Amino acid sequence: MARLANLETEYPVLDSTVRNFCASHGIFSVEDFLIHDLYMLAAFAEQNNSSERLKEGIAQVLSIIDDMHQPWLNGMELLEDAKRNKHVFPTGIQGIDLLLGGGIRVGQLTELVGPSSSGKTQVCLRTASNVARNHLVLYLDTGNSFSPQRIAYFLGKTINPSSAQAKNQFLQKVMSNISCHSVFDIFAMFDVLHQLESYLRCQDGRGGCQMRLLIVDSISSLISPVLGSSSTQGRALMTSAGYLLKKLAHQHNLAVLIINHTVGGEGGYSKPALGDSWKCIPHSRLFLSCDRGSNNYNVSILRHPSMASGKAARFVI
Amino acid sequence: MGSHAKAWLVEDESAREMLDRVLTERPFLLLPPLHRVPLRVGNVVELAGPSSSSKTHILIQAAITCILPKLWKGVSYGGLGHSAMFIDLDCRFDVLRFSELLNHRIMEAANGSSSKVGCHQKDSEAQFARMKPYNEELFALCMKRFLYIRCYDSSEFLATLKTLHYRLQKEREVHGVNVHLLLIDSIGAFHWVDRGSSSFPLEYDNRKSWHLQNVSEAVVQEIRRLLLVHPMLVMATKAVVLGNKYSTNELTWNYRKWSAVDNPYSRNITSDQQLPYREYMPAAWQSFVTHRILVRATDDDLVNGEHQNNSIYLLEWLLPPLNSLDKFTVRDTGVFILS
Repeated sequence: MARLANLETEYPVLDSTVRNFCASHGIFSVEDFLIHDLYMLAAFAEQNNSSERLKEGIAQVLSIIDDMHQPWLNGMELLEDAKRNKHVFPTGIQGIDLLLGGGIRVGQLTELVGPSSSGKTQVCLRTASNVARNHLVLYLDTGNSFSPQRIAYFLGKTINPSSAQAKNQFLQKVMSNISCHSVFDIFAMFDVLHQLESYLRCQDGRGGCQMRLLIVDSISSLISPVLGSSSTQGRALMTSAGYLLKKLAHQHNLAVLIINHTVGGEGGYSKPALGDSWKCIPHSRLFLSCDRGSNNYNVSILRHPSMASGKAARFVI
Repeated sequence: MGSHAKAWLVEDESAREMLDRVLTERPFLLLPPLHRVPLRVGNVVELAGPSSSSKTHILIQAAITCILPKLWKGVSYGGLGHSAMFIDLDCRFDVLRFSELLNHRIMEAANGSSSKVGCHQKDSEAQFARMKPYNEELFALCMKRFLYIRCYDSSEFLATLKTLHYRLQKEREVHGVNVHLLLIDSIGAFHWVDRGSSSFPLEYDNRKSWHLQNVSEAVVQEIRRLLLVHPMLVMATKAVVLGNKYSTNELTWNYRKWSAVDNPYSRNITSDQQLPYREYMPAAWQSFVTHRILVRATDDDLVNGEHQNNSIYLLEWLLPPLNSLDKFTVRDTGVFILS
């Protein structure tokens, strides 16, 4: 919260006269201006002895406010950004990539929902191994499910190098592109994400290998514990986490892949652990399931920005 | 003096002319599926519905109708030829999807006009190739009329609204077109965050707290001010949770506590009409809304062509309360009424 008193060095117009006037109307920070009627405030300023000074001050705060929102873009500018930066990353799993028309999209949150051992973590690991060939990947692990062996296995399946040494080098390179963090509560995740944000801000300026994929396995095990009986604070945390992920995804061109497990619902049907108030956070939601006793997995679209829900496919890992 | 007063009295337009002028400046919008009630600038339409009930799609189709021209190079597109603003609070807008839908509408109108002339297949292909640069020009023209912003929290939303007046003026000066449509997707997006932040104590008595109610009042006040100088149709989506399926006990308890403590007015509004969902927006917003519509998905699918399945949605007018239930489906070329 930007207090007016702290802004004087940067904006000399906001001197003690202006601040005292504002304080008499209960305004102490820029945020207070946001929930105040500025037309009324300007009318009061008009009656004041030093009305010119005050109006200058109000105009100054308005221009500060103008920098607080994201930029307005027209459709062509949006489209240009999307075509330049918002690619799709193949997961490396044929069934899913065909279903999604290429893979998971940069700038968006893709959620995998499914009961235990329905292939959620496997899809994440496979996608990580695929994207890490050319980009950096951050894997947030909440239940010790990250498996470097499994990633090495996926990589070994797809490459056919001339020598064992070349293979080893390739493995080393890809593995070093993936960093795994263990997080066990939502506050630790906020910490990591804020660090990531400042890291990404520096990254955008320089070249080299860039981070393009963030995986949270699983988001539901971080959020479910804070959704207690007095759910207001918990839901506030949940929504904030969702918006932070969306902001990172869009502003720094990350594809974000999150896992939501299922719990038993009414009538024996299983339902996503994060239910209706989380539903409006991810861009796409995919439901995974596994045929009993086989290696065949099913994926169906629960929601997608451009595809009808209900479309389904089968895949093997 | 006398001649002055007389000149003042001389009529300069007939009632008919005035009606023409008013109606062209403020046309009625019949946007399917919202065709039952003619909408016009100044109205505030709330589109309530659970997640994935085609709310955003209806907004996008309204935006496309607004930015398409009425007539362009001899082809009728049936649009309004004005700008539209989209404030994305859900941060889920997909511009690729939007441009796809806009292209569909342009092609459909172009094809429609050529088939009327009765061209052969080959001729229409040739015409299609000839039309392509025109279509691209029109596409760019329309896309530039679409203005977009995303907000990650309520303070960004308020900062946007507080500076929107200047933005709209600039738009009018630069492009010479007026913004006719203000779209908000979705209005309750920051509800839980703002409710969560209400408990911080303040050091001064006269200071307004960053409370859900104060934020909502400020939002309504800014939009109301804006509508006075820039007449627009406001359409906002609102995500709701439909009752009966979930643990209703907790919800009603929360609701009762919520309406009693924070929102004493909402009760009167909701008790008048039995809402099928739990109302959570503060009274300031509820009384600002002039039209309220409920949409929801059904389990039925419409089999269309070979493999294309379209979900069927239901639409119900809550304000004004109409006794009709419209069925509609969503395709790439728009929203289609089924009954």
